[in-house]
Amino acid sequence: MTELETALRQLGGEIDYPPTPDLASAIRGRLERPTRLWRRPAAVALAIVVVAAIAAAFAVPQSRSAILDWLGLRNVSVVRVEKLPVVPATGRLDLGRQVTLDEARRRAPWLRLPEGDPDSVWLNESLPGGKVSLVWGTPSRVRLLLTEVTGRAYIEKVVAGDTQAESVDIGDAGAWFQGPHVVMFRDRDGRFHDSQARLARNTLVWQLGDVTLRLEGGLSKAEALRIARTAS
Amino acid sequence: MVSRPPEDSQLVERARSGDEDAYEELVRAHQGIAFRTAYVIAGNAADAEEAAQEGFVKAYRALGRFRAGSPFRPWLLRIVANEARNRRRSAGRRAALSLRAAGEESSGGAAPSPEGAVLAGEDRERLLEAVNGLREEERLVIACRFFLELSEEETAAALDVRLGTVKSRTSRALEHLREAYD
Repeated sequence: MTELETALRQLGGEIDYPPTPDLASAIRGRLERPTRLWRRPAAVALAIVVVAAIAAAFAVPQSRSAILDWLGLRNVSVVRVEKLPVVPATGRLDLGRQVTLDEARRRAPWLRLPEGDPDSVWLNESLPGGKVSLVWGTPSRVRLLLTEVTGRAYIEKVVAGDTQAESVDIGDAGAWFQGPHVVMFRDRDGRFHDSQARLARNTLVWQLGDVTLRLEGGLSKAEALRIARTAS
Repeated sequence: MVSRPPEDSQLVERARSGDEDAYEELVRAHQGIAFRTAYVIAGNAADAEEAAQEGFVKAYRALGRFRAGSPFRPWLLRIVANEARNRRRSAGRRAALSLRAAGEESSGGAAPSPEGAVLAGEDRERLLEAVNGLREEERLVIACRFFLELSEEETAAALDVRLGTVKSRTSRALEHLREAYD
């Protein structure tokens, strides 16, 4: 080996690679899925229908429409089930492509920004009206995720008995979800547009005009509301 | 070469019959090299992570087409690198490779060089600059062969070129580096 080759090998040990993410955990739950993309959401939808039907047989007190009325959130639907469908805990955050804050503002002029600049901004235009995600932390280790949708996109949440959902006073309407629940994004025709269903943590959802905002992270209700109130 | 207990080939066989735990073990064994290969090609961490993740998922689905008995790593790297290239094409400028700050531990667990410190700090910066300044195809072959320490076969798979191309490109790149660096 020449001196140059030796030097290159030595250099190789000193390259500043970003830390390897935990890919093994990230892909868990994605392995069984069929190859064709359109079948993925269908499979998720079916799982939910099945679980919902079982739940109905157990005479769950709150019906879907009742919850919807109570929440007053136009772009959010909540399905209460007996037991949550099995989805990955982390899931794959289908954030779309990374953009600058300026580009996000240009493409989504309706965007509402809270105090404090996010670490990264992501735009997913496969949903009608677009979806913008503001991430604090890194995409593989998200500390705080604020997702905003507008127009015909909407958020579907599947909650079970041990998820608490309560109405909170923020924006035009708001709701706080405490405990694990399943979250999906889809359009008004019921088609899932991006991302697989995944398990979400404590979440605040609220409406500001035509924009629906969703804040997720390891937050208490008070902390979430404090951050949310800075968004305008 | 240290053999891993159990061997890749056994894990691949189990994964092929639907054993997800076996596949997870394979992912853990190879996620480091897969991610770094994707990073070298895609040029940023987010694309590299996506490419490596998507590559592992696609490889799992394609296990039925994997030729039993052949090595798993080059086959996997081909899929991951292809994902990274697709993302590289659609994104903007890549970030150049940079050196870790002095004193930082290696994240990849690379063993200290047996040759000892051949290069002083300044020279290392200058050499890396020369590598970053190479034409893309030459930069990649140097990164694969010397930085990631891939074999010629693995480099051929990752860069989707023939073995002969890897050899000729490597010697051309080394020549250019000598010119730029000396």
